[in-house]
Amino acid sequence: MSRWRPSPDEERWLELASELGAAVPRAAVTGRAGGWRSIGPLARIALFLLGIVAAALLFGILGFGNETSLLAAGLISLLAAEWLTVAKRLHASGIEEGLCVAGFLLLGAWITTLIAPRSGYATGTVETLVLIAAAGAAGLRRLNPFVTTCAVLAFVYWVGSTATAHAIDQTIGGGVTAVTVGCALAALALALGVREYRRPSHDRMLDWLVATLPVAAYAQYATPDAYEVLRSPGGGTSRLATAALLLALGAAMLFVGVRRRRHAPLLGFMGCVACLAVEMRQVTALATETWLILYGFAALVAGVALDRYLRQPRNGLTSAAPTHREGPLDVLQTAGAAVLTQRTAPEPLPSGSTVTPGEGRFGGGGATGSY
Amino acid sequence: MHTLEPELRALHAAGVIDDATAARALALDRGEVFSLHQELRATMYAGVLLVVVGLGLVLARNLERIGPLAIVLAIALAAAACGVPAVRAKRAGRALTVAGDYLLLLAVLLASTDLAYAERQFTLLGPLWSWHLLLLAVVHAAIAYTFASPLVLAASLTSLAGWFGVGGTLGDALHFSYSTPMLGARALACAAVIAAWRHADRRARPDTPFSNVFDHYAANLAFWGAIAWCLEWPWLAVGLPLLAALAYASVRHALDTGREAFLVYGIVYAAIGICAATTPRLHGTTVSLGFVLIVVCATAATLWQLRRRLREPSP
Repeated sequence: MSRWRPSPDEERWLELASELGAAVPRAAVTGRAGGWRSIGPLARIALFLLGIVAAALLFGILGFGNETSLLAAGLISLLAAEWLTVAKRLHASGIEEGLCVAGFLLLGAWITTLIAPRSGYATGTVETLVLIAAAGAAGLRRLNPFVTTCAVLAFVYWVGSTATAHAIDQTIGGGVTAVTVGCALAALALALGVREYRRPSHDRMLDWLVATLPVAAYAQYATPDAYEVLRSPGGGTSRLATAALLLALGAAMLFVGVRRRRHAPLLGFMGCVACLAVEMRQVTALATETWLILYGFAALVAGVALDRYLRQPRNGLTSAAPTHREGPLDVLQTAGAAVLTQRTAPEPLPSGSTVTPGEGRFGGGGATGSY
Repeated sequence: MHTLEPELRALHAAGVIDDATAARALALDRGEVFSLHQELRATMYAGVLLVVVGLGLVLARNLERIGPLAIVLAIALAAAACGVPAVRAKRAGRALTVAGDYLLLLAVLLASTDLAYAERQFTLLGPLWSWHLLLLAVVHAAIAYTFASPLVLAASLTSLAGWFGVGGTLGDALHFSYSTPMLGARALACAAVIAAWRHADRRARPDTPFSNVFDHYAANLAFWGAIAWCLEWPWLAVGLPLLAALAYASVRHALDTGREAFLVYGIVYAAIGICAATTPRLHGTTVSLGFVLIVVCATAATLWQLRRRLREPSP
């Protein structure tokens, strides 16, 4: 039993309590979880943000312009996070995670002030790498999949922006280095995810990487700068290589996701399909609105077909919701419907105007409303 | 991958969980039951988003070439086609599936686009043209009730909020430069209408599936309105007590129902309101930052303590 973090067994009990909710009495799990305490997803997100804000405010109070403030604010934030962990036995509760991440980042920023000569936080510099390492260390300390994933995604971006990557890109095509590294890391995470882990958090870290890396790596490749490079001779080869990479990775993810019945590889597969769709759009002469509508209908048709196929559970696969309790995704869905409605409905009033309700301003059925 | 099977078996053997709960949890843990519900939702949402954005571009770029009447008819036809699965499900007495629900949402959004475009082109409502936001809210609500679709109800409430002159998204809440007392009054009026609607809906249909959607809209709009009032004197004198009352009601609702979101709303919005009301009246950056830091720490502690008292939701 450790004072600094839950043991694997304790973490598993915490995970079980989270999954079963009210079906298991809290007291029955508290003892088995070694007295560690966790919290629900929405409150965790809010507390995580509050932790980050608190550390930023502390830094501001100590003085934005002073380099020593970085060290002091970082240390105080880290100490506060560790105190919450050791004394209050908080794990995955948000507040200690936010403080820890901000503390590590502030310390990392302070370390970069010691590096000479300074090259700033431009892409591909040692300073940026130090910050990425700080974020990664915070994620590993807190066993937080979101933070470790952010660190890995930033690392992929960093790799793609180094001078070496630019030199390689000149040969194999703009942005292909970052895509290759991202896909390789996603494939590695996919392969490691097949093993059995005692800690659910380790499993989750790999899951997040599998689900996000393909899209994140491709997003860097699909930047306008990369397209400039792609227009140069050899751009077609790099496009082909990228498509082949995404295709291979997507196929592997679909296979693993269906076979192992895991959500992360399936989400990764969906990401690969989306990237391939963008890639295909580049090799066709379709107008933007045409391919948006075509791909939109393709997604709808695929969704409807899958929904119909799984209306009756087949071999345990179903399209029905696994639980009826309201989660963050349900709130997100309602917010998403509101956003979509705002895109199509007439634009609301600017709030500073003096008109009365009902005197809305026309926004039009589209992006801007200006026909 | 990991499995929690040993822990589940231990709980079951100790009699902490019953047979049904254990069997269900074990089936999920082993992957014997595997739901693709979230993947389907993501796919359908992406599809609807792409079609809506693409249609917006079509209207913007090809207006002259296609002609307004052809556009209106084509969109109306597409909207009708998207509504077919929902109509068929209704006739067969089935509940809407996730795909049917999203297709119905797309139908509604296409109809919104069509109406807005037709109004623009043919000025159907004349000087009262802006009232078609309210018309949309009513039509969407009728469709939502006909097909029992919370997604379409969200579209209806967004249109209603738009008619009141409130955006209805988080982005609008963060535009504090826009947060005049007038905006606050409109947001509060809209929240009151939605709360009354929710109450009537609940009375008419005790098993309504819409309460959650009503609650989120009413809570967010009411908090935005109260915070907007906290920014200017003399509205502050009403805004702060109102914010306190709303925060209390939201937290109470959370504790009674076990809905975590309302605990977060109550505490975080109250903290934002306090900071928005107080910091402009403090002198000096350090004092202001120090005050906000104290509020943030108090907010975190309160949220943590109250979250521990929250009833756990059922699986």
